[in-house]
Amino acid sequence: MNTAFWIISIITVLGAVLAITLRNLVHCLLSLVVCFFGIAAHYFLLRAEFLGVAQILIYIGAVAVLILFAIMLTRHVTGMEGPRELGGKWWMGASTAGIIGVLLWWCVRREVLTAMWPSSEKAQGLVAVIGKALVSEWVVPFEALAVLLTAALVGAVVIALEEVVRKR
Amino acid sequence: MSIPLSYYLTLSAILFAVGLCGALTRKNAIIVLMAIEIMFNAAILNLIVFWHYRFGASVTPQMFAIFAIAIAAAESTVGLALVIAVYRHYRSVDVDEMRSLKG
Amino acid sequence: METLYQLLISIKTDTPIGRWLGPVPDWWLRAVAIVVPVVLILAVFLTLFAFLTWVERKTLGRIQNRLGPNRVGPIGLFQPIADGLKILLKEDIVPRGADALCHFLAPVLFLTVPLMLFSVLPIGRGLIAVDLNIGILFVFAVGAASVLALFMGGWASRNKFSLLGAMRSMAQIVSYEVPTVLAAVVVLMAVSAAGKHGVGSLSTVSIVEAQAGGWVNVSGWFIFQPWGLVGFILFFIGTLAESARTPFDLPEAESEIVAGYHTEYSGFKFALFQMGEYLVMIAMSGFTVTMFLGGYLGPGVDLPRMGWLLSIFWFFAKLAVMIFIVILARGTWPRVRVDQLMGFAWKMLLPMALVNIVAFGLWFYLGSGPMGWAVSVALLIAAFALLTLGGTSTRLGKRTYRYSS
Repeated sequence: MNTAFWIISIITVLGAVLAITLRNLVHCLLSLVVCFFGIAAHYFLLRAEFLGVAQILIYIGAVAVLILFAIMLTRHVTGMEGPRELGGKWWMGASTAGIIGVLLWWCVRREVLTAMWPSSEKAQGLVAVIGKALVSEWVVPFEALAVLLTAALVGAVVIALEEVVRKR
Repeated sequence: MSIPLSYYLTLSAILFAVGLCGALTRKNAIIVLMAIEIMFNAAILNLIVFWHYRFGASVTPQMFAIFAIAIAAAESTVGLALVIAVYRHYRSVDVDEMRSLKG
Repeated sequence: METLYQLLISIKTDTPIGRWLGPVPDWWLRAVAIVVPVVLILAVFLTLFAFLTWVERKTLGRIQNRLGPNRVGPIGLFQPIADGLKILLKEDIVPRGADALCHFLAPVLFLTVPLMLFSVLPIGRGLIAVDLNIGILFVFAVGAASVLALFMGGWASRNKFSLLGAMRSMAQIVSYEVPTVLAAVVVLMAVSAAGKHGVGSLSTVSIVEAQAGGWVNVSGWFIFQPWGLVGFILFFIGTLAESARTPFDLPEAESEIVAGYHTEYSGFKFALFQMGEYLVMIAMSGFTVTMFLGGYLGPGVDLPRMGWLLSIFWFFAKLAVMIFIVILARGTWPRVRVDQLMGFAWKMLLPMALVNIVAFGLWFYLGSGPMGWAVSVALLIAAFALLTLGGTSTRLGKRTYRYSS
């Protein structure tokens, strides 16, 4: 259990770091997919199996493919690489993120939380319970989510539509 | 024995910081959107971690996480459509060049 | 895996052999219980793949009025071995501008990701590698994840035609996942309707067990219900499209000029692509059998001792029938154009799948007797008629002859 956590965590963080540092856009995307797989594995470790599979289905099956198509549609003619730094000011962004990261780590490293809440065996991500809750107690957010996804779909198609009509 | 809670929280803090660094540093709008997805994932991982350690009997945190994942997917859809539309106008996805609201 | 682990533990504690072997640590037994199903799956299904290439070539040959391979070994049975040797010895060409890492990884991922599908396939009674709580959802997640391996193959070759072929294949697989998943949703609704307190499960074993009972374990199969038959046809079409078989094999058809996403691959990497595609076909046929044809159920499965052997036999018999139908489809049906393909998925299969769900609801709530049958059958036929006749069909005009009088 411990070794699984460390291996998966290293894979996840490595995937995320590579996703923001590589030059080639498609390589960035592929390491982002590795990061998503790592997070799905963490969900499986935390016994939230339905969420792990939903992560794979939604993030890797849909969002990554979407980013891929966006990369394909916005390529320059010459290639996919480009200068990756923001001029000479990249260290400002990196140091801001570093400071926020250190602050967050300092907040969560307290042993108070860990002592209060050791691991609980009550956590069972049973799909039947989730399904029942989705149609009984959470049905209104569920339907609202369906409307939201439809609106996002229609909106994305309308925004990205070729403006053929105006080129008269 | 299993992992202490603070290890998982540190992991999600690191992921959030990495995503934030990417969003602030990179010039390519698509990479910025990818970094925002990393931040989303870090936050949702936090939700599930707290569900596992404290609220395992209830289904509400999982609901929260499911809805958050779906909304993140919808947001990335619209964001990428916007990037494509802006690319058609500016012929580049460099965030430095998208600085005027005038069409 | 769990049953094997329990079996090993009981051998260790109860039988004389266990006592004679001495104290074996528990994690050894767990490791054995993990390794044995993995090795068995690899051995059985990879051998099945090799045998299947021979079956396909012979069948296609007979359909096309010729003998298939018959030189290598008796009736050509050693042809797969000869093919394997040939392809191992071929030169491995990597294009100069190709992305070396992705070019190498793409066929590897394309083969190994579908191998995970076999871990939730119930081969016999009590014989499943991992009885996941979320079995069927895992199948669709793996299908969604294997799309990216395909893209890597096409993009890493640095060839415009490869990229175009990869994009088309991705669009095909992603489009046909939707009616496939909706056809599976009907099965899950039926499983939960048959379960206790209306609570079902996504586990593949519970899907098979929900079809048990009935006359010699056969009449409970979902294909014999109206919504099951339509669901079976939809899922079967989805199988053909997910594994890019005819009539949906535009990326790799023999009459196309380039071979889609695996144009620039030669030698063993090409063999890995073919292996991955065949494995997807075998696995999806297996899931069709599991969901609609009763899985490992058949007459005689409930016998106390020999039941599980018979269940293995029934499963592989049904799998053989499904794969044979897929091969026959390849030999006899023409292939569709890519725009016809997308139109078919979104305009015909998707509405049909949605109507199928409604038909199951009506069938269930009208008591699943003659009334329910009549209403659901009428609804399905009406929807089919509307979609085919009233849909986007090209009216063929009167034929005009231009060059003859």
